[in-house]
Amino acid sequence: MSEKAIIFDIQRASLHDGPGIRTTIFLKGCPLDCLWCHNPEAIATKRQLFFHFDKCTQCGDCAKVCEDDVHHFIDGKHTIDFDKCTFCGKCVEACNFNALKIIGTEMSTYEVMLEIMADFDFYTNSGGGMTLSGGEPLLHFSFSMELLKRCKEMAVSTCVETSGFVSAIQFKQILPFVDLLLFDYKVTGKEDYRKYTGVANEPILQNLDLAYHQGIPIILRCPVIPGINDTNQHFKGISALNVQYPNLKGIEILPYHTMGNNKRTSIGVEETLTHLKTVPPEVSAKWIVQLREAGCNKAKIG
Amino acid sequence: MQKIDDFSMELNFTEAYRSNINEHIAIREAKCHQAQFPAVLTEIQENDRLAGRTFWGWVGFSPHNAPGGAAYGYFCHDQKIIEAIERGNIPLEQRDGVHEMLHFWKKETSKAKVEAAFTEKMLPVLFRDEIVSLPYNFKPLIANPIYRMAGVFVDYEKLLTLGIPGLGTEITEYRDKSKASGGDYKLYEGMLIALDVFVDSCRHYEKQALEKAQTTNDPKRAKELFQLAKVLKKNAVSKPETFYEALQLSWLYTLICGSLELGRVDVYLGDYYVHDIDNGIITEEEALSLMHSYWRLINELFRDVDGRVIIGGRGRRNEKNADRFALLALETMRTYGRAILPQTTLRFYEGMNPELMEKSISLIGDGHTFPLLYNDDVLIPGVAAAHDVPIEDAEQYMPLGCGEIVIDHMGFGTPSGSLNVLKALDITLRDGVDHISGKRLGLPTGDLKDFKMFDEFFSAFKKQLAFFIEILADHEDLEYVESGKQAPYLYLSMLYDDCIARGKAIFSGGIKYLGGSLESFGSVNTADSLTAIKKMVFDQKLISPERLIAALDNNFVGYEKEHKLLKECPKYGNDDNYADDIMVELHDFMCNNIRDQRDRTNLDWYLNVLINNKQNTILGRWVGASADGRKAGREMANANTPAGGNDKKGVTALINSLVKPSHAIHAGTVQNMRFGRDLYTADRPRFEVILSTYFKKGGAQAMITVINRGDLENALVEPEKHQDLFVRIGGFSSRYIDLPKDVQLEILSRVTY
Repeated sequence: MSEKAIIFDIQRASLHDGPGIRTTIFLKGCPLDCLWCHNPEAIATKRQLFFHFDKCTQCGDCAKVCEDDVHHFIDGKHTIDFDKCTFCGKCVEACNFNALKIIGTEMSTYEVMLEIMADFDFYTNSGGGMTLSGGEPLLHFSFSMELLKRCKEMAVSTCVETSGFVSAIQFKQILPFVDLLLFDYKVTGKEDYRKYTGVANEPILQNLDLAYHQGIPIILRCPVIPGINDTNQHFKGISALNVQYPNLKGIEILPYHTMGNNKRTSIGVEETLTHLKTVPPEVSAKWIVQLREAGCNKAKIG
Repeated sequence: MQKIDDFSMELNFTEAYRSNINEHIAIREAKCHQAQFPAVLTEIQENDRLAGRTFWGWVGFSPHNAPGGAAYGYFCHDQKIIEAIERGNIPLEQRDGVHEMLHFWKKETSKAKVEAAFTEKMLPVLFRDEIVSLPYNFKPLIANPIYRMAGVFVDYEKLLTLGIPGLGTEITEYRDKSKASGGDYKLYEGMLIALDVFVDSCRHYEKQALEKAQTTNDPKRAKELFQLAKVLKKNAVSKPETFYEALQLSWLYTLICGSLELGRVDVYLGDYYVHDIDNGIITEEEALSLMHSYWRLINELFRDVDGRVIIGGRGRRNEKNADRFALLALETMRTYGRAILPQTTLRFYEGMNPELMEKSISLIGDGHTFPLLYNDDVLIPGVAAAHDVPIEDAEQYMPLGCGEIVIDHMGFGTPSGSLNVLKALDITLRDGVDHISGKRLGLPTGDLKDFKMFDEFFSAFKKQLAFFIEILADHEDLEYVESGKQAPYLYLSMLYDDCIARGKAIFSGGIKYLGGSLESFGSVNTADSLTAIKKMVFDQKLISPERLIAALDNNFVGYEKEHKLLKECPKYGNDDNYADDIMVELHDFMCNNIRDQRDRTNLDWYLNVLINNKQNTILGRWVGASADGRKAGREMANANTPAGGNDKKGVTALINSLVKPSHAIHAGTVQNMRFGRDLYTADRPRFEVILSTYFKKGGAQAMITVINRGDLENALVEPEKHQDLFVRIGGFSSRYIDLPKDVQLEILSRVTY
């Protein structure tokens, strides 16, 4: 029996989610709701209708085939009642301009493994492997567990990108099958953590501690959002972790970019942080200087 | 005053041919060479360290290197001569002769001889005299004849080891033996005259160098010219002993024999170079200066699709010395700067001096379009199988021009025809009729609606392909037969195994292997179209045959739904077996069928090549909309490369698809890969791993361009600011801004990683 989960993307030849050449599996669903999320279509666990506004020609073909009253044309404007969608896919088929798609495909670990194994030679030659990402991949515990085990059986190196917001019992079970953790450290301070991500940070910090003391190689990944966590307090927080966990493999700073934001309206969610622009490289370079001055030599742009 | 159009060389040449028309063909050709050289050799230029430039006449003899894009044997460039007549600047005393000369060559050129010998089967399929040369090609052809003897790789080692006098001695011995035994000794006589012509040409340049040395005011230049004169004098009377002498001799021979390829320079020049450096005869700086001159001459005198300088690889008797010379060639590339030519080609294998590959990758990363990379570990066994030659001969494989593979001074294999595969599919959908011209071009195999199963349709398509392939194979055979009847190609026969020993000319039974190749274009679009037809029309039946034909006839206008469905079908290049399997089946069928033509012809091999040049765009113009979603008249994908923008799953999936078609059944494919500069600069180790994994998985060849998509977009807007932007379209490099707009857009549409 093969576990199944909703996958929203599989990226091959991925170079930014761990060492070497990798295949990154993006699972759909996340318990957090970070204001700056650049994959907002990965937050909801269920499948979702996705609408490219700029490709729509207002032809109305979608409305003609829709049985759930999702598509409306009012004053020449295409509006969508996302909540009514049952993901039948008829409008996607009807649209000649590829303005509509359904995000998320249910796949079994077996099917995912087939795609992972296709690039096996690239992993061995480059020190790469499979990266489990999301959303929050560990939300799908059984699926992730099974996929990681299968990878280990096939000698594929594994990497998990996680917020750490997962039960300690499950997290502990996962760890023996993980070669590298890309562990998010988003905000310093309990209050702020809840304010910006919607969840408590205690279980996260406990899991980080657990993984570290089990000797799992960890790279901290720190999204930095101007006006939210580009603060002295947060940079000190990062540096403190660096002191507490001297054997961290690395600390990657991920400067805010706007590329995820317009995806929000495409799935019927309100845009956030509309006042922010993509962080220019000279600003993020200053953050690195700041962090290094605080004794955090491992910090670099991810 | 307007420039005089002087036709004295052409008239002399014509007279030499005519007055020897009933002579032995070797004597006739030798006399023609006398009229041609040194008359077409042009002046040593200001910075030339080597002598040897040409301005070929509008009438002449050359296997390949001459005006009008390419020459073939005895040629007459009608169009240029008529232009001169219209300008009215031909000297009065030449005018009657020029008119008469035009008439004379109409039946006597090598091309006319082949066309006159067309069989009944060829006549309706291969267009003849009316064919308009590329890129105009106004006829919607499926099978296109090509006239040239491309891919000359003479035995430079023998040339340098013996020198001209030594070669003359060998030929004289054979002549005397032949004469004594009543054999066809005139072939040797012709060769000896041709050698005299070569010596005269050395003398001609020696004299010129001396004159220039005496008139220059620059003492440094005078010294250089005196040195050059000495080198040329030496070439005329004895074998070369220094690097300079060897380089000069090989260059002038290349030019006079009408070749456009330089071959294994590291093998034949390596020992001279190392000897001179190690003994203090020449400095590195001086060697580099000579190489720059060599590079410049190649760049200025050869065409963009040729000029192969080949370095590295297995089968080099003097590997260490050759490697040192190869590094000099790469250093020449680096210091000379980006250039269209030569097409430096690196052959490599597991265990070769890694410095060669490292330096090559650095050059590619710096935006050079060369070297082209050829994997010996895959290609040598591949060539041995495909060309059916022993491994030791396969080790001497040489990619010519756009990438067709022949064997160094043992095996000739000019591509003498191209096949428009997508157009063949086009007519198979419509009972063999071309819907653009309304003419029947192929066999009546039925309309799409007549087929119940996809396999039946695919079989009908294979039947059409086999029909054209046979005609093109017969045409290649005929071209050699007619060439052999008309001329012995003396400069080639002297330096190709085993012509001298056999006493036969290269195309008349003298050469060890006489092969050929068929250039096929549009295979990827064809495979993707077949995939779409299988899925939409036969498997899922979402589009009826009638509806598909209507959609294609209307270029998808009013058939947007169908267009979308077709575009969304699986495409080659994404590691998706549904699409890749059909590509492999098509590849196997074409390659095997073409290879088997050797059983019905006199050819030692006849093989498919999936190369690229501009023809994917030019031939595509006359193909209607295709079932892969490509619109009417648009370019076809290059060689084995996925159609622009269709490889969506990343470079690893692309590579997995690229290595699926076999390399043991063809004579060359081209694999284009473009990498963004960002990946190369920020992540060179991973860039190298991608490449090395590709080669380990069985990748035969790679043409890599490191380029920024933004570069190209900007170049479209502000061409004058992007003069230095070179791109490679498979077999050739070009200034991006010089390309036709549709070719520019096609390059832009290919995905950059």
